[in-house]
Parts: sequence; C-alpha cells; structure tokens
Amino acid sequence: MSAPLDAPPSVEAVVLWLALLAPPLLGLAAWRLPPRRMLPVLLVGTPLPLATLWLLHRVSVGGGLEGAWSLAGLRLHWHLDGLAGLLLLLTQLLLLASAAYAVGHRRAAAVPERTFALFWPLLGGLAAALGLIWVAADLLTLYAALELMGLTAVGMMLLPGTGEALLAGMRYLLYALVGSLAWLLGVALLLGATGRLDLAGLAAASEPGAVTGIAMALLAAGLLLKAAIFPLHGWLVPVHASAWTPVSALHGALVVKASFFILMQLWQRLVPEAVAAAWLLGLLGSLAVLWGGLQACRASALKQVVAWSTVGQLGYLMLAFPLLAGTSAAVATLAWQATWLQLAGHALAKAAMFMAAGNLVLADGVSRLTDLAGACRQLPLALMTFGIAAVTLMGLPPSAGFTAKWLLLQAAILAGQWPWVVVLVVGTLLTATYVFRVFRCAFVEASPRHEVRPLPAGMDLVALLLALAALGLGLGAEWPLALLREEGMP
Amino acid sequence: MSLSGELLAAGLLVVLAASCLLDRYLPRACLAFIAFALLMALAWWRLGAPWLALAEAVMGALLTGMALFHGLGRPGSRSPLPPRDHEGRPRHQAPVRWLAALIWLALAGMAVWGVPGSGEVAASAEVARRPLLVAGLAIMALGLWAFAHHHHLLRRLLAFNVLGSGVFLLLAGLAGPVVEVQGLILVGLMVALVGSVLGAALLRRLHALDGRVTLETGPETTP
Repeated sequence: MSAPLDAPPSVEAVVLWLALLAPPLLGLAAWRLPPRRMLPVLLVGTPLPLATLWLLHRVSVGGGLEGAWSLAGLRLHWHLDGLAGLLLLLTQLLLLASAAYAVGHRRAAAVPERTFALFWPLLGGLAAALGLIWVAADLLTLYAALELMGLTAVGMMLLPGTGEALLAGMRYLLYALVGSLAWLLGVALLLGATGRLDLAGLAAASEPGAVTGIAMALLAAGLLLKAAIFPLHGWLVPVHASAWTPVSALHGALVVKASFFILMQLWQRLVPEAVAAAWLLGLLGSLAVLWGGLQACRASALKQVVAWSTVGQLGYLMLAFPLLAGTSAAVATLAWQATWLQLAGHALAKAAMFMAAGNLVLADGVSRLTDLAGACRQLPLALMTFGIAAVTLMGLPPSAGFTAKWLLLQAAILAGQWPWVVVLVVGTLLTATYVFRVFRCAFVEASPRHEVRPLPAGMDLVALLLALAALGLGLGAEWPLALLREEGMP
Repeated sequence: MSLSGELLAAGLLVVLAASCLLDRYLPRACLAFIAFALLMALAWWRLGAPWLALAEAVMGALLTGMALFHGLGRPGSRSPLPPRDHEGRPRHQAPVRWLAALIWLALAGMAVWGVPGSGEVAASAEVARRPLLVAGLAIMALGLWAFAHHHHLLRRLLAFNVLGSGVFLLLAGLAGPVVEVQGLILVGLMVALVGSVLGAALLRRLHALDGRVTLETGPETTP
C-alpha cells in the first residue's frame, strides 16, 4: 500500500522527516551549548527512536510508505519499508549511545571544550546522512547523502588534530573522493542508458547488458572502496588508530555498512542474476574474513585488533551476494535475513567493543596489548564488556552473531555452496584466536601495576548496554526477522 | 554553435587540463586550473545551463582556486609550501594504481561507446555532444594518470578536481543537460569544493607539523 505521490503528506511522512531532520538541528544547538552531562543528551535524543518505533508499527500494519519531493523540476523519491525502518532505529540507538559516551569521553580524556564542540554538528550531519541513505529511493539523493556521510566522517576523524590523525584523514579523504567519482561515473552511464534516476524506474528500464554491467562495476568499485572491503581496506585501520573512541565506534558500526546497504539495493535491482560477479564479491568477502582475522591476530595495539576485526566481519556481509544470485527462494530468504541480522549484531557489538577498548586504553593509559597485564583485576567491567561483545563477533549462542551465522550456514549448505561453509568456520576460529589473545594479555598478573584513571560510570554502562543489546538481539531476533519476512526482497 | 566551435572549446579544455597537471611549478598549475574551471563554466552556459555555469564559476574557479592558493601559502606567510614539486617518481604501489586507472578508463571507454547506440537520442543532438564525450574521456584519462602518478598532495588535489570535471563532462555528454544531470553536477561541485578546501587546509597543517607534502611515510629520511 502506498499513498499517491502528490497527495498532501501523511502523518507518517511528517514524523519520518522530522526524525530525519532533527539531528542536524540538535547538533547545531549542541555546538553552541555543548552538553556537560549524559542525562540531558539522552533525554533530548530519546524521542527519535520512539518515533521510529511508531513508524515501524505503522509499516508493519499498513505496508511501506513512499513519496517524492519536487525540487526545481527534479523529483526526489523516498520509501520506508521494514528494513529501512529497522536500520533507522539501529542508527538512532547507536548515535544516541555514542553521543552519551562522547560526553563522558570528553571529560575523561580532558579534551578542551572548544575543540570538542565541533563534534556535535558533525554528528548531526552524519545522522542526517545515514537516515537519508536508509530511506532514499533515487540515485541523486543517495549520492548527496553518501557524500555528506563521507565528508562528515572524515571531519570527525580529523578532530583530534594530531599529525597521525591528519595523515590518516588525508588518505581517507583522497580515497573517499575518488570513490565518489567512480560512483558518479556509474550513475552517469545508467542515466545515459535509461534516462532515470529513481531506483524503481531504473529496475524497470534497465536491461541486462554491457552498459548496465559496466555501470554496476563502477558503482560497486566506488562503494567497496568506501565500505573498506578487502583489497580496498587500506585506509581503515590507520584512521581508527588515532580517532576518538565515540567516532571509531560510529564509523565501524554504521558508516562502512551504509555503503554496503546501497550496494545491496542497487545489485538486487540492476543485476540480480549476475552469478559470476556475485561469486567474485563473495570471494572478496572470504578473503576479507581471512585477511582481517589474520591481521587482527598479529596486531600489537588494542584498537588495531578491533579495527582489523571490522575488516574481517564486513567480509561476512559480502557472502550474501552469491547466496542471493540465482538460488532458490528458500536459500535467498535465509541469506537475506542472515545478512541484515549480521549487520545489526555486528554494529551493536563493534560499537560496544570500540567503547570497551577505548575505556581500557583511556583508564590504563596504555595502548599496546602486552601492557594490558592486570587489567582483569583493575578494570573488570570494561574487560567483561569486551568479552560480551566478542561473543557476538565469534558467533557463540545466544548472540545475534550466532543466529546470523547459523542462518548463513544453513543457506550455504542448502545451496550447496561449500566454500562459504569453510570460510564461516575458519573465520570463527580466527575471531576466537584474536579475542583470546586479548584476554591472555589482560589476565597476566605478574607485572608491576600503575595507577588506573577513574572513568565516568556512564561510559562503562553505555558500552555494556550495547554489548548486551547485541546478545539480546539473538534471543529477540523473531521481531525484526518477521518484519523482514513480511515484505520480502526488492 | 557550429561543430568546429565545439571542437575548439573541447580541445582548449583538454590543453588547459594537461598544462594544469603537467606543470611542476605549482602556482602556475593552480592558475591553469582556474582557467580550466572558467572554460568549464562557459561550456555549461553554452549547453543552456546558466545556473550551473554560475555555480562552476563561483565554486569551481573562485572558491576552489582560493583554497588551492591557501594550500600553497603566500610566500611571505608562515611556512609556505615550496612552489616547485621536487618529489621523486619511483614508488612501490604504483603498478596497482596504474592498473586501477587503466581498468577505470577501459570500462568508461567501452560504456561510452555502447551507450549512444542503445539510447533513443536524436542523431543531431548526439553528434553535437560527441566533442563533449571525447573531451570528457581525454580529461578523465589525464586526471587518472595524474592521480596515479603524482606524490605531491596539491597535485593530487588538482588531479582529483580535473578528474571530476571529466566525469561531469561525460555525464552531460551521455544524458544531455537535463535537470537530473544539473542536480548531480551541482552536488558533485559542492563535494569537490569541500574536499578541496579540507584537503588544502590539511596539507597546510601537515606541512607546518613536519614539512611533508606527500602521504608517503618518511621519504625525507631515506636517501
């Protein structure tokens, strides 16, 4: 069910756009009046996820919403279905958690208030960009939102202002800009071949052929670069090494996944039957799982372990492409659900893990793994949070990671695509290896201890809540999966 | 406008792009870029997109030009960049970049060759746009070459801007100056401007911190 395009906007549409446009305004307000406590941030931010919950309820009752804006002769389309609504909810919860964490982080790390104030408008811009990406239904809106997301992410990474941060940020900026040009060229080819920009029109008007294939290849190259998928992941780890913890958490949890989401949307509409290309993407994903896992096992600093683990875990998402291309409906449904559950579980767990790692590093004043000795006694809560988040990453029951990997395994066996089964098993073993390496270092008690710095209690609490949410998502997966099932795939 | 006029303008664009990317003397390269952007604005105006021409002149030529010169630093100011690019050429990851650039160019060339045949564009409009396509491909090739080849961050920013202009020309050549194309190019111009401003400011800070003008780790320390 959908409203006619030029009807006066429905209540749902008004609520949706208010929820999308509120964060930048709140960000600007927080720039002028930086919040000093976590509670006001939480109180101001909580209505947004509540509004999205209401929208999800409306969507589950009455079907997806869609509409269009007219802007100087341009028609910009948007749509909200169960998947977009769930991702919007996830985004708002993670942004809220990071905002609350950031208040504590500023106090604990003693960042000057003036320097930190710039974080807030950038956070607002990032929130608007992510929200737009989930609901956009034409390539122009997607392009603008993707660029807004990339530039705000670069800006946030630069905020610490150290030489290391500037260098990593510059590399990230150049990669992001070139990736956006590859994307624009792909859009140009599609527009030249079909004359359409809206996704529904493109899906109807584009015919499989060389031009669509090349356009998709260019679009995919740009998006894979921005999503840090295996051979194009070089910028990711240095960028995290010097970034502030709340920024790292948001980046690892959401920013890289938005590019994946766009790629999946376009792939399903333009080249759903391209089996060979889908296997190529699956192969890249497998290499990402292996390479990211191996590098995480070799990394010497705690934040590097977490960042390399992001490279590896993103690989699992790419396995969806071969499992969705030309397979039976049962396999496709399993893979579809597994992918989004893995995305949500990993987003929550990775944000929790970055925050727990940040707490360990900040309280202990050390960043190398071997210097963590004794952390088990002095910082038990942060270490426990790290462990709970790791349960999801390893895919142990009852976490969301377990359910997602279980569904993925079922899909791979049902489709007879055995290579992915091997990848799943090896990836899990590698994850367990690097997680237990961190614990082995933290449980050494022999070394002389230095003082640990007390952190605001909220920082540990936010991280713990996110880690528990990732765990609970595995138990309560029925609700989001049912929403996904109802509407099927594009 | 006659076809020869179009060809002349397209040829001039390519020449300006080349002189911007080949010049080791950076202030002159930046001036060449400003001239290139002004000519782009003229091209948009003649295509019947006056607002786009205005945006290109203000954002592409004026503001990006100011950002680039800010990145260079005035000779009298604190820690200006050396005006000449002295960076050496050998580099280990160059083959990968060359390969990526060649694949990009080959894909774009093949697709551009394929699109007009399948589209339902009128033949006359198609012929009039052909110089745009050729110029776009040539400028994109120059930009890709420069981006893969140069170390110096200011020259890479120039290369990115030229590459972007090539993509814009291809976009206009493939789909005509319709409102969707103008919207895409407008967003692209804004992104390029913000990217250039950010890049130039970063370059200044990096140069002030430890005198570097490239991303390479420690080229000064190795003889």
